[in-house]
Amino acid sequence: MAAHAHTVKRYRGLMDWLTTVDHKKIGILYLIAGGFFFLIGGLEAILIRIQLIKPMNDFVGADTFNQLITMHGTTMIFLAAMPMLFALMNAVIPLQIGARDVAFPFLNSLGFWTFFAGGVLLNISWFAGDIPDAGWTSYVPLAGPMYAGGHGVDYYLMGLQIAGIGTLIGGINFMATIINMRAPGMSFMRMPMFTWAIFITSALIVFAFPVLTVGLVALTFDRLFQANFFETGNGGNAVLWEHIFWVFGHPEVYILILPAFGVISEVVSTFSRKRLFGYSSMVFATVLIAFLGFMVWAHHMFTTGLGPVANGLFSIATMLIAVPTGVKIFNWLFTLWGGSISFTSASLFAIGFIPTFVMGGVTGVMLAVAPADFQYHDTYFVVAHFHYVIVGGLIFGIFSGLHYWWPKMFGRVLNEKLGKATFWTFFIGFHMTFFIQHFLGLIGMPRRVWTYLPGQDFDTMNAVSTVGAFLMGIGTILFIVNVIVSAANKKPVADDPWEDGRSLEWSIPSPPPEYNFKQLPLVRSYDAWWNEKQKGNTEMPPAEPVGPIHMPSPSILPLVMSIGLFAAALGFMYDHLIVAIGGLVVTFGSMFLRSVFDDHGFHIEPEEQEKGVHA
Amino acid sequence: MSAHDHHLDGHLPHEPEKATLEGRNKILGFWLFLGAETVLFGTLFAAFIALRHQVLDGPTADHLFELPMVFAATMILLVSSLASVFAVQALHQHKVKAMIVWLIITILLGLSFLGLEIYEFNTYVSEGHKLTTSAFSSSFYTLVGFHGAHVAFGVLWIGLLIAQIFKKGLTVVTAPKIYVSAIYWHFIDVVWVFIFTVVYLMGKVG
Amino acid sequence: MANDHSAASSDPRRRHRHEGPQKHVVAFVLSLVLTIIAFAAVSAGEINTTFTYIILVGMAVLQVFVQLAFWMHLKDRGHLFATMGIIFGIIVVFTMVIMALYWVWW
Repeated sequence: MAAHAHTVKRYRGLMDWLTTVDHKKIGILYLIAGGFFFLIGGLEAILIRIQLIKPMNDFVGADTFNQLITMHGTTMIFLAAMPMLFALMNAVIPLQIGARDVAFPFLNSLGFWTFFAGGVLLNISWFAGDIPDAGWTSYVPLAGPMYAGGHGVDYYLMGLQIAGIGTLIGGINFMATIINMRAPGMSFMRMPMFTWAIFITSALIVFAFPVLTVGLVALTFDRLFQANFFETGNGGNAVLWEHIFWVFGHPEVYILILPAFGVISEVVSTFSRKRLFGYSSMVFATVLIAFLGFMVWAHHMFTTGLGPVANGLFSIATMLIAVPTGVKIFNWLFTLWGGSISFTSASLFAIGFIPTFVMGGVTGVMLAVAPADFQYHDTYFVVAHFHYVIVGGLIFGIFSGLHYWWPKMFGRVLNEKLGKATFWTFFIGFHMTFFIQHFLGLIGMPRRVWTYLPGQDFDTMNAVSTVGAFLMGIGTILFIVNVIVSAANKKPVADDPWEDGRSLEWSIPSPPPEYNFKQLPLVRSYDAWWNEKQKGNTEMPPAEPVGPIHMPSPSILPLVMSIGLFAAALGFMYDHLIVAIGGLVVTFGSMFLRSVFDDHGFHIEPEEQEKGVHA
Repeated sequence: MSAHDHHLDGHLPHEPEKATLEGRNKILGFWLFLGAETVLFGTLFAAFIALRHQVLDGPTADHLFELPMVFAATMILLVSSLASVFAVQALHQHKVKAMIVWLIITILLGLSFLGLEIYEFNTYVSEGHKLTTSAFSSSFYTLVGFHGAHVAFGVLWIGLLIAQIFKKGLTVVTAPKIYVSAIYWHFIDVVWVFIFTVVYLMGKVG
Repeated sequence: MANDHSAASSDPRRRHRHEGPQKHVVAFVLSLVLTIIAFAAVSAGEINTTFTYIILVGMAVLQVFVQLAFWMHLKDRGHLFATMGIIFGIIVVFTMVIMALYWVWW
């Protein structure tokens, strides 16, 4: 093996984190960055709710309120929810499919850093004093050069463009990983449900994000170079933006919710100690939801005036999605049915998810009825609906997944008492905040308006809603306390801390060594690890002899490339062409270096593996 | 699993681009990227189709486009695509010299396509068809310009790969890069098929 | 399937039949003919507009099929996911073109 003995610099400390290409560390980076933006978005939400606590409140002005709702929506969806999903994907997927890493470790790191650069760019708008304020959908002409002068919307466009590159890279990477890197014996129909969900999600990312890219480019051209895509006066069309945004935007909400479905499937099955009910129907339902997800975008535009034929078609297509989703709900219920359920924090979040998400789904079908939608449109009913599916679905799923996989990611179990306290405060707070908003919407409170007059029966319900928002905030703080407490707890964690682990990640140490599997496992069934345990085996049968393990080398280039893009975006926005070109030169120069200098990686020899090289 | 089985020495396998897992990952990942590119160009096409009649005071498509020039550009790209497929064939037969020759032909044709496009855009601008003229002109320049940028990137990329082949030779590391760049080049040609059909020919028909 | 690896990779011991240039030249000539038909249909100018549109779209689709299958090797084995990726991309593009044609102006 002398020919392979490339010596590669191994970094330590901060440099290790900046240069890492290890999917487990990148997962942690995603979690930290996503968690940070989640706190920012949450703070914005609290400020919005304080403003709405009583009629004619003047806590924040109308302009600030517009900025808060815009940044809250954008931050939560693109910078908090998706990165936290990417955190779980990175932490879990290679382990679940029995792989040593993702297909493209370098691109994985690039994906993280571009997302982070985009997120930081969007949020420095707070310091620049030019904050996006056209709503998270940035509808034109409101977001066009005429009505949104200044650079606020530019921050939105450039930030999302750069973050979108990272997301697209991640999608391609995980699709390729799941197709090509599965352990011997792991056929598609033996993949854990979470892996399936991420596979389909990644496909949605690959086919939906380019649409957003084009939309952002078109609006950027309109704003920076006086192009006319959406300038009605020059022949442009504002409805075109709505179409482009929602052709991307609707698959985006499935990008958010499908991974949560995957998490729930794993958690429900593990903590019921039962095989997931209806596994193949689950897979089929996921695929169907994803496919239909591309065919329903215009249900966001019923009131635009597309006409009865289009409204009818999109109405029916939307209602159809309830069918595969219902299949999933019943499958979870039947998995729970007759199981010996243990109510851990992870399982509480999963069980709380089911009725909450059903409520969001039911209001979804209500909104799909086009004539009725004319009444609900732009009221708090819509706000309640999408918070039920996104918070009640996705955020519950993320909390569930974090409690479930925390021991695998960090080698510490989260405190169960604090976990349950998190669940109950968050769960009660959530329903308090949003259940009542259905009725606020039905009696006519419009969304996105900074205040309201007294005497419309809005007052009490808004006050209750705000109290609920504070409870959710307390729940989040309890989770952070839990993280700190668990970090202080030095007790080592077993490989399979829940003792009922079913998939491959529970067959290796917590946290896993940097090469994950000393020998790639041989997968002999669905729920591979569970079945080996049933046969009395204490480890997975190996599919290969012990040998040197090839690892990719760390690299600083992804970070440099992202900084280049970041600088270029600022340069374009503020007309400093030199900065813009300089930034692009840095980015393309890094690509050049990456192409010219081959990454031979390095090998971890069996003796070293014995010493246990930990991540 | 890794680059062990066919390392940089000894015989190259018949299809060196698929000899390693890294190579196979690269090809698969690139195809998925092309799936994304399909949607990217599809969205640009959709925007163009929606806005194609919004000419305002600017020159119309019928007035602007000259079919002989479009036909020449089409032929250049088509022949370059053939050159690039011959390069891949030479790659499979391990004929490094032939491969380099075909790749050089590919980028020369790519460069002449770019030259023609710059000349064309220049003419249009002088006729009063600028990015800011109308919704039609904005969507035209964005769609055709995105394609042109892809050609330019391809030329630079393949040029860089030729340099790498000179330096490193044909190996299981360089072969996937060549193969993937060829797929990219064909994809650019495929997009052009729709551009000359939808933008130019349909623009002429009206 | 994990075994796809071996299917997609080539076995160095088994010499593949070298593909000749004929196949690619045939694809080239086909593309050429399809292109010329499209340009001729427009240059002729006498045909009715709808019919010209149909010819143009038909020629473009055929040519793309030829190039994807032969030059981009989509018809070769080991391209299942590549093909699925392109097909799904085309479905998305198709819905967007419908949108552009019918639901932007009214």
